[in-house]
Amino acid sequence: MGVDGIGARVLRKEDKRFITGKGRYTDDMTAQGMGYAAFVRSPHAHARVKSIDSSAALDMPGVDAVLTGEQLVGDGIGNLICGWMIHSKDGSPMNMGAWRALEPEIVRHVGQAVAVVIADTQAQARDAADAVVVDYEELDAVVDPVAAMEAGAPQLHPEAPNNLIYDWEIGDETATNAAFDNAAHVTRMEIYNNRLVPNPMEPRAALAIYDSAEEHHTLYTTSQNPHVARLVLSAFYAIAPEHKLRVIAPDVGGGFGSKIYIYPEEMVCLWASKKVDRPVKWVSDRTEAFLTDAHGRDHRSVAEMALDANNNITGLRVKTVANLGAYMSLFSSSVPTYLYATLLSGQYNIPAIHANVKAVYTNTVPVDAYRGAGRPEATYLVERMMETAAREVGMSPADFRRKNFITQFPHQTPVIMCYDAGDYSATLDAAMNAIDYSGFAARKAEAASRGKLRGIGMSCYIEACGIAPSAAVGSLGAGVGLWESAEVRVNPVGTIEVLTGSHSHGQGHETTFAQLITERFGIGNDQVSIVHGDTDKVQFGMGTYGSRSGAVGMSAIVKALDKVEAKAKKIAAHLMEASEGDITIEGGELKVAGTDKKLTFTEVALAAYTAHNLPAGMEPGLKEGAFYDPTNFTFPAGTYICEVEVDPETGKTEIINFVAADDFGKVINPMIVEGQVHGGLTQGIGQALLENAAYDETGQLLTASYMDYCMPRADDLPAEFKLSTHETLCPGNPLGMKGCGEAGAIGSPPAVINAITDAIGSNALSMPATPEKVWQLCRAGMQQAAE
Amino acid sequence: MDMEGTYRIPASRETVWQALNDPEVLKACIPGCESLEMTSPTEMTAAVTSKIGPVKAKFKGAVTLENINAPESYTIVGEGKGGVAGFAKGSADVSLAEDGSETVLTYTAKAQVGGKLAQLGSRLIDSTAKKMADEFFGKFSETVGGPSSTDDLDAGVVEEAKRIALEDAPSAAVHAVEAVEHAAEEAVHKVEEKVEQAAERGAFGGPMVWGLLALGAVVVILALMS
Repeated sequence: MGVDGIGARVLRKEDKRFITGKGRYTDDMTAQGMGYAAFVRSPHAHARVKSIDSSAALDMPGVDAVLTGEQLVGDGIGNLICGWMIHSKDGSPMNMGAWRALEPEIVRHVGQAVAVVIADTQAQARDAADAVVVDYEELDAVVDPVAAMEAGAPQLHPEAPNNLIYDWEIGDETATNAAFDNAAHVTRMEIYNNRLVPNPMEPRAALAIYDSAEEHHTLYTTSQNPHVARLVLSAFYAIAPEHKLRVIAPDVGGGFGSKIYIYPEEMVCLWASKKVDRPVKWVSDRTEAFLTDAHGRDHRSVAEMALDANNNITGLRVKTVANLGAYMSLFSSSVPTYLYATLLSGQYNIPAIHANVKAVYTNTVPVDAYRGAGRPEATYLVERMMETAAREVGMSPADFRRKNFITQFPHQTPVIMCYDAGDYSATLDAAMNAIDYSGFAARKAEAASRGKLRGIGMSCYIEACGIAPSAAVGSLGAGVGLWESAEVRVNPVGTIEVLTGSHSHGQGHETTFAQLITERFGIGNDQVSIVHGDTDKVQFGMGTYGSRSGAVGMSAIVKALDKVEAKAKKIAAHLMEASEGDITIEGGELKVAGTDKKLTFTEVALAAYTAHNLPAGMEPGLKEGAFYDPTNFTFPAGTYICEVEVDPETGKTEIINFVAADDFGKVINPMIVEGQVHGGLTQGIGQALLENAAYDETGQLLTASYMDYCMPRADDLPAEFKLSTHETLCPGNPLGMKGCGEAGAIGSPPAVINAITDAIGSNALSMPATPEKVWQLCRAGMQQAAE
Repeated sequence: MDMEGTYRIPASRETVWQALNDPEVLKACIPGCESLEMTSPTEMTAAVTSKIGPVKAKFKGAVTLENINAPESYTIVGEGKGGVAGFAKGSADVSLAEDGSETVLTYTAKAQVGGKLAQLGSRLIDSTAKKMADEFFGKFSETVGGPSSTDDLDAGVVEEAKRIALEDAPSAAVHAVEAVEHAAEEAVHKVEEKVEQAAERGAFGGPMVWGLLALGAVVVILALMS
């Protein structure tokens, strides 16, 4: 390992600009003659648009135009699409309703845009948007996905009778039912996974610039995958052909999945900039983000687990209703199916699994992937079930899990996934040691002497990252391949630019990706720059989500580096009149093994570009590209243990200890991995204790600002997260990486809820475990005890 | 959201009924009402400026009277649109009962809000709506029959005043010397007496007003003594 190579705690190169206010975000971009967009949004969850009167708005100062959905449709702009086809169990394709970027006829959630105002300043645009008079005819709304499927429920889309998008299944139903017929014990739970709002620090934004002479569009936008954005905008929405559309995602302040998708607002800015022939900028305010950024989770499940007389798991049966909101967002269909039910085997040997998932339209904001995307839902279900089953059969939760762990690899689960490597006992042991599990009883007794209820809960999660083998996801309905590209450009002076299709919006790619080059060639990471986020610079890429930038993105870089290394060695061997096989690279020098002959990397690079003396037939230059398509998902796994104290008088939960033992495969930069885990755990704890997107029965979002939507803060977290990593290398990629971006958010919610339910002795707790809910359960428990 | 309330108005039922159907009286009594016009015997249009939490907006609304059973009861149905602030709609069943020379007005109301009002102000809507209802019926009683009282005024005023006086005065007095403490207790007694006298007179104002008055009086007295 070099000083700054693989495994080193290299400080983040990007932080200098971020912490000195020199970051360049979309809202920092300007263009000559730029106007601002403000959207007119529906206050109703379901209503017919009867008329839109723009006359007063058009008379207001600075107003350039008021554009409506009728004009958008008239200009041939396509509907928003969902890019993953799911078929129902009867073989029929999913029922997708039309989603227009500006709705001309029927609005289906509060906040849906019906018109846009373009004005000289942001304030003028917003004032004028207030003056657009929209006459709505209110329709009945439905927000509960179970109620939405019932007869007589309000219907959202004619394409989806009873609001049912698909009725999908996975696994062997007959075998699973047989397991239950023969079960010695069955654990049954109703499990709700609460609806969340992603809340990246930077809200979405767009700056669209149209060059009428070149008929060329440029879009600066807050995207996790600018190339996918360009592809979709071009191929499906008819904004412009790809060569006439440049998408740039500059510094982006967090995404958590919510910036994967193509949203109406960015599309409208592109269209409007051509329509009014001036650059158009839009920046979401925080309440707009609550009303339009794709929400996460919102699953209602009934789960049953069958055990034999020896407490071996013999079957798992799950029925889930997934609320997808009013429209099908870009990858929404895949989240409650292939990203969820394929992980229901957890870390356990479960011979038979059957899951049925119904995806439903409701008059709420569309729901799509949010940090973890399907795997948190699976993990929460499996780990709540494991804890509950252990309690019911009177085994310690750790022993029950260990007894059912998968120990042989590769392991084919009954739900598609084939786990390639792991050591689940190792991470369980590490976590139990880190939290001093055996000392818990004494700590509980001490807490009781202070009137506090102490509880401990664990979660042994597994997830699938590094999405994904293109052929595999293609066969499951994905509209795109999920490979990644890289290009390594060695400059004549020996500095290196790495162009990657991955996109960094907080992950620290500029640092970790450079560590690969340092490791390979021994040149300082200040000699390397990472280029990403611009479709004019990087040829193509699939972007960053699903913890894929390491396992897939860096693998592509490794492949390109292999080619660069091979060519550099050929040149060096030629120049030093040595055999190619004798050339080694070390400390920025190419050496002939066993001699003192050497050339610096710079000398070799220069030789490649002067081309005065290259091996016969070799092309000049030193630049190589590669595409990497993974052979399998990767399977990060680990154990999280949470220890809480509940005050029965107030219901307030305090997290006293939290330990995480993760197997992420090869770790490139432990500091960045720790940061990812800290953030993930915090989001998971937020989901478990605080966060909830609440709608009233008429479809009004009641938590549309930080006044009502509670985000985790430092004082909601333990003083320290005790982290450790335990490496089993992933055999599926050259670095052995698995991915660490989502694990924290995936594994932590069940650990927290298992700890609280252990503390209060009641299992009927749903997320978020607010003090009121916990207090009610404590009170009910006390009353029961008194009776 | 559901609300209900009862008001005793010192006027005859016929007078109250007339006033409830008089746009001028309604306009004067609806908080923030800028205009109110009768468009038919049972329909009115109104413009009202209202503030709930961070959202301030001018609502343009239509009000319809239904289930008219003069002079005993009607249902008042209203819907207001506040542009980007959202909308509010609701209905109230209002009934009038004779009690000697006075009239007892009872209402049960339902209200619903949407848009920014719901997104930003949902936690404040209940209290704001109740406050507005109180303001309306208080003003209405005053306009129609002079100072009025709600049925539970006496008990409410006294309890609230006592609670505040007993909780706040002694806690403040802990820090004072014993002599001052004695004086403070006397002051509290005086305030209580005044409150009780006022309550007996059935004067205007809700429990909150009296609670604040009592608290204010205690604070002033303590300040004077220190």
